[in-house]
Amino acid sequence: MKRTQTLLIPFQLLTYVLMLLALYTIFIYAPVEKTMGVTQKIFYIHVPAAFLAYLAFFITFMASIFYLYRKDPKWDTVAHCAVETGIIFCTIVLITGPIWAKPIWNVWWTWDPRLTTTLILWFTYVAYLMLRRAVKVNQRANLSAVFGIIGFLNVPITFFSIRLWRTIHPVVITSRGLNMSEPMKLSLITTFIAFCFLFIAMLIGRIRLERSKMHIEELKEIMDGMNFKN
Amino acid sequence: MDNSSYLFAAFSITWSIIFVYIFRLFRTQTALNDQIYKIKKTLQNISDLDVADS
Repeated sequence: MKRTQTLLIPFQLLTYVLMLLALYTIFIYAPVEKTMGVTQKIFYIHVPAAFLAYLAFFITFMASIFYLYRKDPKWDTVAHCAVETGIIFCTIVLITGPIWAKPIWNVWWTWDPRLTTTLILWFTYVAYLMLRRAVKVNQRANLSAVFGIIGFLNVPITFFSIRLWRTIHPVVITSRGLNMSEPMKLSLITTFIAFCFLFIAMLIGRIRLERSKMHIEELKEIMDGMNFKN
Repeated sequence: MDNSSYLFAAFSITWSIIFVYIFRLFRTQTALNDQIYKIKKTLQNISDLDVADS
């Protein structure tokens, strides 16, 4: 535990430095896009946030499988914490998307396949958290794991929606790679790495919090036992 | 609203969400650490009393 804490501080500092570097690449290094203007710079937070939301839900999917297989509560904790972090990033996607859409598409929201499936994805995982609060403690982990596995079906649907259906949402990643200029590509990669570090820091922080809660429960049980004896 | 206002809105909302979430995590973690410390101290006192009684 102490070693993790010691490693966490340089990791958080590195995240901070990478975030500053990302801001530099977004606002100074990356060129202004000719058609959309400065609004296009929203892209550098919108895309990494979307990928990290997918990654978080994938972690939940894997942790849920491990939980059902091993019945180890630590996997349930990982799944739960990943959902919460994923929702944060999915919320960022759902907020930055309409802000970007308004000056470009002239609407805040349209029922486009990508937008609609992303909204459904967000509701799915909000439902996951609501389910955890609603059910009894002894059923919580099992039901959440099943929900975490089934809910993940939404992720590939959301990701491939722009290829499966007719949409106005731009396709950034094509079979020929990233469809943009070199400085833009580099800025996106830098932001993506910085967001990955931020995501890991947030997820570790959330898992540590959950472990502290469990530790308190254990200590309280010991205390109750001692009180009973006395 | 001009284009830079949309950019400002997107970035400020994103960073606000992240900062609020991290701040919330930090505050809860600090409160839990305090609680753990208090419980451990109480347990220590109880076990010290038990030793003194015996």
